[in-house]
Amino acid sequence: MPPAITVKDLRKAYRFSKRGRGLTGALAGLLHPEIIELQAVGGVSFEIAAGERVAIIGPNGAGKSTTLKMLSGVLEPTSGGAQVLGYTPWRQRKSLAYEIGVVFGQRSQLWTDLPVRDSFALLRRVYDQTADIFAKRRDDLVERFGVGGLMDQPVGRLSLGQRMRCEIVAALLHGPRLLFLDEPTIGLDVTAKAAIRDFIREQSLAEGLTVVLTSHDTRDIELVCERVIVINSGRIVLDQPTDQLRRRFIARKLVTLQSQAARLELDLPGVTRRPSEPHTTVLDVDTRQTRIEAVIGAALALGGIEDVTVEDPPMEEVIHEIYAALDH
Amino acid sequence: MRSTPPWITRTGFTLAAMAAAYRVGLAAALAAWPVLLGRAIFYGVCLMVLIAFWDKVGAQRLAGTLAVRLPPGGLGVYVGVTEWITLSVPAIQLRLEDDIRSGALEPHLLRPKPYLTQTIAGEAGGMSARLAMLAVAGLLLLTISGRPWPAGFGLAYVTVLGVIGATIGVLLYTLVGLTAFWLRRVLPALLIMQKLMFLLGGLFAPISFYPGWLHDIAAASPFAAHLAFAGQAVIAPSWAAFAGALGAQALWFCALCLAIALIWRAGLAKLMREG
Repeated sequence: MPPAITVKDLRKAYRFSKRGRGLTGALAGLLHPEIIELQAVGGVSFEIAAGERVAIIGPNGAGKSTTLKMLSGVLEPTSGGAQVLGYTPWRQRKSLAYEIGVVFGQRSQLWTDLPVRDSFALLRRVYDQTADIFAKRRDDLVERFGVGGLMDQPVGRLSLGQRMRCEIVAALLHGPRLLFLDEPTIGLDVTAKAAIRDFIREQSLAEGLTVVLTSHDTRDIELVCERVIVINSGRIVLDQPTDQLRRRFIARKLVTLQSQAARLELDLPGVTRRPSEPHTTVLDVDTRQTRIEAVIGAALALGGIEDVTVEDPPMEEVIHEIYAALDH
Repeated sequence: MRSTPPWITRTGFTLAAMAAAYRVGLAAALAAWPVLLGRAIFYGVCLMVLIAFWDKVGAQRLAGTLAVRLPPGGLGVYVGVTEWITLSVPAIQLRLEDDIRSGALEPHLLRPKPYLTQTIAGEAGGMSARLAMLAVAGLLLLTISGRPWPAGFGLAYVTVLGVIGATIGVLLYTLVGLTAFWLRRVLPALLIMQKLMFLLGGLFAPISFYPGWLHDIAAASPFAAHLAFAGQAVIAPSWAAFAGALGAQALWFCALCLAIALIWRAGLAKLMREG
């Protein structure tokens, strides 16, 4: 089976004129504009197999969104090539649109004032679906994603978690072979995040859907994707299965303890303390050495614990660790 | 059996999607009926003020002024028609500006149907609801105030030229909205467009009152096709004037569609190049 996505030496540079300081600088810029070129993507190459679930991660400004935009066809590269489901995205954007679904966590694709049902009906026309095939697919997805009770509510009145479920259903209504997800769980609570991750993974497994996901949440990557591509400064710095990445880099958790005592002393292997305010203890836990329940158990044994929070380290830290490991 | 050519099928699908967007726009405007009602009240207030002003001017019949050229019964119905169109046309330029500046346009580009035609169709749906609501309000006001309705075919002429004029207005404001690709904010272009509409469109006064040279410029502009032709049809309704106005509107409709298509392509190319 041919790969769903083939990318060869894809590059994108943005050019803009530098503006000088003050009025003099502005006038000088008008007469002799100084053009600056910013390399957003500096030659990335990779393949994604049909049915694969891949995360593209990296710090802000790394070039992952630019890469996704080029792969979905809304941005032309400066050079290099890409084939997505057999199409050159930026030249065959409309043909490709029938084959892909896109979910942007920070932007709604539904019509705010319309009930969910009407938004879906409009999408049927946008994707030229026949009424019977569309109705069957919609009903299946509505049942699977549990959005039946939301169908008659205006999109604008849904909670963020409810809206995201509807967004994903909307992206799948026309039966795409490839799903692009840009920060699909941003701003959601823990339960909603878990539900969204389950839906995406199950849908991919059930229909052989290829998934390309970007996220700052390491749990999205761990629970949805089987492979991770790390991009920084427009270049791929790591491309490996999620299991390997997890073993090497995502084994850390941050445990925050609120206590009556101003300071807690915990001496456990792989547990280090981070600077924090009095009565707050932030522990950096390497779960390969000490399990989270052991850390919490030890803290509770000290007494006076008022609150406990367990979080993944920020993506920036994970990336930083990856670089540090690669440097070595 | 001969199969349907692909381009006909594609056009059919595109029109079906536009019709769906139109229905959505219409339904959304009707669902927000308090807003429609508020607009109708505002329309009524505007008309009362403007009609009172023009009645006062007309009553003076001052020699050497516009007043001597006012039609019998004043400009009440003329003002009513131009305001009917003006208050019905959607602020599509703001939506385009918002989508282009915020990047909200990108998700729409990932759909197979053109964003612009879908947006225009949706806004036209909302405009239809406003045209109908304000037409009822205007006729009601005429009846209550004891003024006569447009005579003969006047009402039919006004309806046809008004609806097409409003559509031309949507296209003009779409052009303004597309400047956001380059200017980021549409306000400068909007201010220019509104001033031209005020003068050349005949919002200020019927363009037939203007000096010959200015009348000729105004009549040849898209602003007259947007507003003045429909207004003129109540002052001096005639088949010849109606047919001429209809022809000019058809020309401007085609010219504006072409201009929009070209500017949209240029803007989209810029967006895909620069992000």
